Amino acid sequence: MASRPRAAPKKAAASRSRAAAPKKSAASRPLKLPEVSESTTSSGLQVIAAERGPLPLVSMRLVLRAGSATDPKDKAGLADFTVRLLRRGTARMSADEIDEAVEFVGASLATGVSEDLMSLYVTTPAEHFPAMLAVLGQLVSEPAFPEKEVELARERSLAQFANDLDDPSTVADRAFTRALWGDHPYGHDVGGSASHVRTFTREDVARFHRERIGPKGALLVVVGAVKPEVVAAEAEKAFAPWVRTEQLEPVRAPSVEVVAQAGRILLVDKPDQTQSQVRIGGPGYRIGHPDYFAATAMNISLGGGFTSRLVNAIRVERGLSYGVGSYFDAMQAGGAFAISTFTKTASTREIIDVALAEVAKVRKGGTTPRELLAAQTYLAGLYPLRTETNDSVASVLADIRMHGLGEDWVELFRDRLRAVTPKQVKLAAAKYLFPQPPAIVVLGKASEVQKQLKGLGPITVVPVSEYE
Amino acid sequence: MPKAPPRSAAPKPDPALQSLLDVHEATLPNGLRVRLLANPQTPVVSLYTFFQVGSRNERPGITGISHLFEHMMFNGAKKYGPKQFDRVLESNGGRSNAYTSTDMTVYYDDFSSDALETVLDLESDRMRSLRISDANLASEREVVKEERRVRVDNEITGMLDEELGTLVYKAHPYRWPVIGWMADIENISRQDCEEYFRTYYAPNNAVLYISGDIDPKKTLALIRRYYGDIPKGPRPLPVVDAEPSQKGERRAVIRHPAQSPSLMVGFRGPRATAPDAQVLDVIQYALNKGEGSRLVKGLVYEQQLAVSVMLDWGWRIDPGAIVFYMELKPGSDPQKVEAALYAELERVAREGLTERELQKAKNNLRADHFRELGTNTGRAHALGNYEALLGSWRSLLELPGHYAAITNEQVKAAAAKYFAPEGRSVVTLLPVPESESESETAAA
Repeated sequence: MASRPRAAPKKAAASRSRAAAPKKSAASRPLKLPEVSESTTSSGLQVIAAERGPLPLVSMRLVLRAGSATDPKDKAGLADFTVRLLRRGTARMSADEIDEAVEFVGASLATGVSEDLMSLYVTTPAEHFPAMLAVLGQLVSEPAFPEKEVELARERSLAQFANDLDDPSTVADRAFTRALWGDHPYGHDVGGSASHVRTFTREDVARFHRERIGPKGALLVVVGAVKPEVVAAEAEKAFAPWVRTEQLEPVRAPSVEVVAQAGRILLVDKPDQTQSQVRIGGPGYRIGHPDYFAATAMNISLGGGFTSRLVNAIRVERGLSYGVGSYFDAMQAGGAFAISTFTKTASTREIIDVALAEVAKVRKGGTTPRELLAAQTYLAGLYPLRTETNDSVASVLADIRMHGLGEDWVELFRDRLRAVTPKQVKLAAAKYLFPQPPAIVVLGKASEVQKQLKGLGPITVVPVSEYE
Repeated sequence: MPKAPPRSAAPKPDPALQSLLDVHEATLPNGLRVRLLANPQTPVVSLYTFFQVGSRNERPGITGISHLFEHMMFNGAKKYGPKQFDRVLESNGGRSNAYTSTDMTVYYDDFSSDALETVLDLESDRMRSLRISDANLASEREVVKEERRVRVDNEITGMLDEELGTLVYKAHPYRWPVIGWMADIENISRQDCEEYFRTYYAPNNAVLYISGDIDPKKTLALIRRYYGDIPKGPRPLPVVDAEPSQKGERRAVIRHPAQSPSLMVGFRGPRATAPDAQVLDVIQYALNKGEGSRLVKGLVYEQQLAVSVMLDWGWRIDPGAIVFYMELKPGSDPQKVEAALYAELERVAREGLTERELQKAKNNLRADHFRELGTNTGRAHALGNYEALLGSWRSLLELPGHYAAITNEQVKAAAAKYFAPEGRSVVTLLPVPESESESETAAA
C-alpha cells in the first residue's frame, strides 16, 4: 500500500471556533464529553468513569507521573523498560498466564512512556471488564520481575537498539532529541540507549517500581459500555492492594527554556543513504501554556496542514520531498517548535534553505487573516473527532487531569481557538519561529552532504553508531 | 466481481453488527453506487470513494501509475483548479487523504458535517473533469520518487518486500510494488494518466460511502445533483491471472549494509472470496496476534531466535501473499530462525491449533471487528473494503458467523496446502560493511 500523506507532525493539536460562523452549524453545536463520575480507592488511586455506547467495548488507561524524565541519570530508559516488564509475571501469574488471560477474551494490553507520563492501556469487550481491571491491578501492585525475564528484555532491547541504526528516521529523531535537550531529563530517547540499558539489573527495575509506580499522583480513566458504579466497585477490588509505602513524591522535571545545540549543525553519517533526514528545532512552550491556541493556529498555516506554506514550498512547488511538517511539542517542563522532513541527498541544503526562508517570512510578517480563518475553521471542524471513540475520550480526560487543562477544556476549545486574533498570531510567530538560530540535525551521506551545509553554522559529524 | 464468501455454512447476519449498520443504498443512472450510514453521535462525517483500480490493473513500463495518479487527483480539476482541493476542504473544516493498494485506490475526507455539500462539490468536480498539466505531473513525479526513496530504497523491510514480490509472482501484476519501479515512475506520461482517468475513474467504476452526521435522504438528493451528470465510462478490461503454479522453493539474497540479517518468507494464498481466506485469518491470529501467540511466544520468548516476528496476510482480489518477516539479532544465523519457522508451520498442518487457541483467535477477530467499526472512518472504510474484495458490503455482517464456524480440520488443511515447502519464497538480507557497499556503488 502506498499513500500520499505528509510526514505526520508528531503531535497534532486540533479544534475549531466560531466568529462569523454559518447559521446553525455543526461547528457551533456544543461539544460535550460524556458525564464523568469520580471515586478514589482505599489505596488512594483516583478513578474517573464515563459510560459510553453503543459498541460493547471498554477502554481504560492507568496514567502515572513516571515518565522518562524520572529515569535515574545513569539509567536512561528505565521507566520504559520497567513498564514493559510489568506484564512478564506477577506474584500470582506467569507471563504466559497474563498473556492468555488478556488475549483469550479479545482484550488488548499496551504500555507507553512519554517524557512526563507512564501509561498502561487496556481495551476489552465489556463483559470482561472486571477481569481485565483485576489483571491491570495485579500488574502494578505485585509484579515479580523474574530474573530471566529481565535478562531477556535486556537482550531484546540491545538487539533493537542495534537494528534501529538501520532506520534513518528513528536515528534522526534520537539525535534530534539529544540536540534539543542535551543534559536535561528530556535529553534522551524514552527507550534509553544501549550503553545504559546494558547495565539494567533486576534490582534497578524493582527499585523503580517501588519508588515510582504507585497510586500517588496516578489516575485511572475508564470509558465505554460499563456503569460508573461498577467501575468504582471493581476499581476498589483491583487496586485496594496497591499500597506503596516507598513511593516518592512525583516531581516535575526542571523547566527548560533553551535548546542545547542552538545554532549548531549535527551531521549523522550513514554512507549508504540516498536520502537525507532533516530536523530543525528551537524552543516552544510547555503544555497548557496560554500561547497554545495562537501558536497552534499559526502552525497550521505554516506547516501543520496539507495546504500549509511549508508543504506548498517544499512538496507542491519544488517536489523536494514526500513529506514535510512543523509542530509544537509541548511537555510539562518546556517544549519545542520543530520541522521534520527528508529529501534526496543532492537537495539537502536546498530543503533546509527553503524551510528556513518560509519560517522567516512568517516570523517577520505573521500569517494573513485569511490563513488564520482557514486554520481556525479547519481545526474546529475536525475537533469533534477528538471525542469520537472510547480511547480518544479517555485520552482527553486523562490529559485534562494530568496536565491541569481545566474541566471545560473540550467545551471551550473551539471558542478559544476562534478568539485568536491576527495580532496574537504575529506575536506567537515572532516568539517561537526561530528568533535565535535553531539546532539542525541531518542524517545522510556525510561525504556528499557536508560540503552543502557550509555557512549554516558549526558542523559536527558523528557516525550513526553514536545513537545506538 | 466475486460473490460473498462460503455459502455452505450460511451464517445469519450478526444482530449486534446489523444494528450498527443501517445502510441506505442507491445506484445512479451513470452507475455510481452510493452507501449512506447515519451516525449523529458527533458532528463529523467521513466520505470514502473507492475506485476499482490498483497496481493489478497496470502493465510493465508504467508500473506505479495507479499510485502516481492518486497523487494527481489532488492537483486540480475544472472548477477547483490546482491547489484548490485541499485549500477549500481544509478551510471548511475538513481533511483528506488517499491510498493505493494492489486492488483499489481509495480517497477519503473527514469533515465537519457543515461542509458536506462543499465536499460533494469538490469530489464530483475531480471525478468529472480532472485537469493534468505537464508542470504538475513533473513536480508530483519528484514527490513520488522521494516517497519511493523513503519507503523502499532506504528502508530494509521495503527492500525485502519488493524482492519477495518478484519471487512469489512470476506473471501476475502483484509481482511489482504498488509504488512502481523507479524507471517506470520516470516514464509515465501525461497521456498515460489521461487514459487511466478515462478508463478507471468513471462513476461506474466507483463506489461512494458516507458515514456520520448526515440525513441519508437529503444526502442522496445532493449526490444526485452533484454526480448525476458525470458520464458513464467504458467497462475496464478484466485482469488475467496467468500465474503458473510454483514447482519448488524460490530464494534470493540481498546484500546491504545492516546491523543484522533479516528474513522474509512468502507463500501464495487464496483469493479473498475463497473460504480459505478466513481460515487463514484465524491462523494469522493464532500465530501472530499478541504476545502469547505461537510465533511470538515460540521464536521471540522461548527460543529467542528473533527480536520480532510479523505475519502479513491481507485479502486481495486475486490470490494474495502470506508473508512472514523476522527481525534478528546482530550476528545471528538466519537459517536457524528459518528452520524454526517452518517447524511451527508444519506443526499447524499436522496437529492444528488447540481448541483454546482456535477460540482465542475467533474472540480476537470478533473484538477487532467491533473496534474497526468504532469510528465513522472505520465504518465507511469497512463497507468499501468488504464490497471491493468480497463483492458486497453485507458480507461484513456475516463474517462473525463464518469465523465462528471454522473448524480445526479446516485449519490443518489450509496450513498443509498454503505452507507447503515447494510453494515458499525466501529472501534473506545479509549484512555487508558500509565500505564494501560504497565501493560497489563506485564501481557501478
